[in-house]
Amino acid sequence: MKKNYLNNPGSLKIDLMLRGIRIDDPLVKAWACGTSGVDILLPQNTLVNIPCREEFTKGSPYTIKKRDGNYLITDGAEEVPVSLVPRPEFYNRKTTTGVPFTSIAVVHGSYTVITPSPRCDFFNRSIECKYCAGNFDVKGSSNVTYTVEEVIETVEAVLKEKASEIIYLSIGFSESDDGGISFLKPYLTAIKKHFNCLVAVEALPPKQNHWIDETYAIGADSVLYNLEIFDPELFEIICPGRASLIGRKRYMESLEYAAKIFPNGTVASHLIVGLEPPGSTCMGIDYLTGIGVVPILPIYRPTSSRALRIEPLNAEIILPVYKHLYHAVKKSGVNMNWVRDISMVTTPIEVKTLAGDGASKTTLVENFYKTKIGIKAAWGLSTLRRKLRVKGSKDPSDSKH
Amino acid sequence: MSVEIDTRPIWLLIFLKAVRPLFFLLMGLAFLYAVQMPTPEGLTIGGQRAIAIFFVCLILWVTNVVPLAITSLFAIVLVPLLGVLTQKDTYSLFGNEAVFFILGAFILAGAIMHSGLSNRIALNIMDRFGGSPRKLLLSIFLLAAVLSFFMSEHAVAAMLFPIVLEISKSLGLKPGKSNYGKLMFFALAWGCVIGGVGTFLGGARVPLAIGILKETTGASIEFLDYTIAVFPLVIIMMLVGYMLLTRFFPIDITGVESARQVLAKRLKGLGKMTYSEYCVGAVLGLTILAWIFFGRRFGLATIALSSVVMLFMLRLVRWKDIEEYVNWGIILMYGGAIILGTALDKSGAASWLVNGAIGKWATSPWTVFAIFSLLSIFLTEAMSNAAVIAILLPVSIGMAENLSMDPSIVTYSIAVPAGLAFMFPMSTPANAIAVSSNYITVKDMVKGGFIMCITAWLVFNLVAAYWWPLIGMGYSK
Repeated sequence: MKKNYLNNPGSLKIDLMLRGIRIDDPLVKAWACGTSGVDILLPQNTLVNIPCREEFTKGSPYTIKKRDGNYLITDGAEEVPVSLVPRPEFYNRKTTTGVPFTSIAVVHGSYTVITPSPRCDFFNRSIECKYCAGNFDVKGSSNVTYTVEEVIETVEAVLKEKASEIIYLSIGFSESDDGGISFLKPYLTAIKKHFNCLVAVEALPPKQNHWIDETYAIGADSVLYNLEIFDPELFEIICPGRASLIGRKRYMESLEYAAKIFPNGTVASHLIVGLEPPGSTCMGIDYLTGIGVVPILPIYRPTSSRALRIEPLNAEIILPVYKHLYHAVKKSGVNMNWVRDISMVTTPIEVKTLAGDGASKTTLVENFYKTKIGIKAAWGLSTLRRKLRVKGSKDPSDSKH
Repeated sequence: MSVEIDTRPIWLLIFLKAVRPLFFLLMGLAFLYAVQMPTPEGLTIGGQRAIAIFFVCLILWVTNVVPLAITSLFAIVLVPLLGVLTQKDTYSLFGNEAVFFILGAFILAGAIMHSGLSNRIALNIMDRFGGSPRKLLLSIFLLAAVLSFFMSEHAVAAMLFPIVLEISKSLGLKPGKSNYGKLMFFALAWGCVIGGVGTFLGGARVPLAIGILKETTGASIEFLDYTIAVFPLVIIMMLVGYMLLTRFFPIDITGVESARQVLAKRLKGLGKMTYSEYCVGAVLGLTILAWIFFGRRFGLATIALSSVVMLFMLRLVRWKDIEEYVNWGIILMYGGAIILGTALDKSGAASWLVNGAIGKWATSPWTVFAIFSLLSIFLTEAMSNAAVIAILLPVSIGMAENLSMDPSIVTYSIAVPAGLAFMFPMSTPANAIAVSSNYITVKDMVKGGFIMCITAWLVFNLVAAYWWPLIGMGYSK
């Protein structure tokens, strides 16, 4: 019997990410032009970035239509009203140095991802992660590094337009003990100096824990060390660079330590769904929640050249994994309110609609953190916590450049 | 900059952050109450306010929640603001001779260190007399003490520390385990502490005490008189210190050849004695002679400042070289302490306070001397020695007057023990420097330091009772 996911935004998000969508509407096509997918707001404010260009999306039952000026997604039988996330205005502009803002920043819901250098040395050594969709430059050494001023200009454009509230700085692999934090430091401190916004950092586990202290001290409000694959053997096969130069053990240690340093619910790690058996992902979820880390579950998007995913992979198989995610996070007492509303991945709070037993109701706290005051409060609390906890270092907002 | 993340519960961190403002709020309220409450019998309104200021400063000096110098500035602000002294009187007290003597001493010490003369003397003595473990130990102990007769003991400890540390390393002594390592750093710290009380120059506390004495009574203590009075204490404490150390930590090495190589290498690195070293040495020698023979006539500060002027006239130092050696915080601290002491005295608060607090116990000059010296020697373990003087001296002078005691004797009873801090690293920078080597633990220091404190107090009282009468000093006027 054909399953209907249209009535549950959580399961619909997952099925859409898994199968993609067919687009006929010219406006939506224009939105998706130059990006990997289209950002849609499903019911209950559930954000999703739906693949629409990849080969596998051609067989998707879902299409997006416009009726009476409103958008809806239909599987042919039923339909659900949705809205198109406005394409950020700044996407059409450039920095004063002439760099298109889209080269520096991409908005994914409440997060804007900024990659100051799209360099990843795993590519230079041919030990890149097998699933890597090319966010990083495969040529490794021949790419540009955006200046602090260019990044600041971009952040200013993002925040001025209110395109998102959280800046997400990411970095690829480079041969250093610090996991890349020294490279990100000038960007992070400059952002913290100029703007009152939360900043998440996606880096690689550093060799020593003091770099994690440093990451927190210089202003990161959240940190991600993405393990991606929990199964040890598959980790070595799919992520040879991470396995050989960092090691799975070091990922675990870094995440465990970071969870003690950063606020509850702000340390996260990706576990890609679709590259390992669901049971293994569930074990990963249990492990991560056990050490106070928020598991974030992106779905692997196969391309013609990188068809790595396990088969069969459908919503029926992976929805229990997401249900397990919600229950495990809830059980471990990890705060779900910090890591949320990211269109490219699925966070625990988004799948509470799958959990049943009345969990789908949004709480007062969840709603509060989505308001303007709530965002300011989150920033204020995070800054206050840092001021209380950090010793022997100046607050980044006080630093003079 | 290294970063440390405090992972204690957040409520505890908030509570700890709130402690400081809460502390100031409570102190402010208590101060307002003390100023506003009905004036106790026998006390003037000015005296009541002076006592309120005194207790605020006492709390701030003891807790060290703000730098000592800032507490002094606070006293300078409050005294005229509450009308205890006029503005003119208050600020003119800052021009006290003691303050300028301290300034001159800092600059002279700075010139000696900058010229490299002190380093050369230290290396030569250790090289010449340090032929065996026992001799090397003695030379460090005596050198630290003798140099502290002429320079601030803190500066001596800082100057000798790298040399002693290098010797320890060259001898292969293991930090925390080697007895000889402990001995060398104890010798350094205790040598500085004991030597520091030998003259006016070992620290700024004696000039401060004399400044307060002069402002409140008009009496003074001369350079040579002080040294003659205190010298037996220095000699005895050096002997006791050496015996105690070698008994607690028996020497566990047989030779010091590698240490001698280090000293020889360092000496070679210094080259021949420079013109600047000769001249600075000559100026220092002349200054000391002038303090001894003309101190009474011209004043110690005048002589010190004249020497400073001479250093600059001869182009032996530049202001830039000297600036880093002048501790302006201490100078501010002492100025404020003198103002507070005078305020307590002139308002009648000091004598009222002493009579009320320890008047019943202090029935004879001897007990006054014993009580104040005991208080001073133990307070200095936890507080800055200057703060001890600022707190105890004004009230003790008040008491001395009531008992017809010589106020200069009471000044000795506080100024000398205030320099004898043996027990804790925070008691004096010399101890802190020694502990920072990791050869000595705090436990080691407390154990040996407590015995030294008790011994020093007993010896000091015995010296006062038996030596001072021989040189014409007595408890009574």
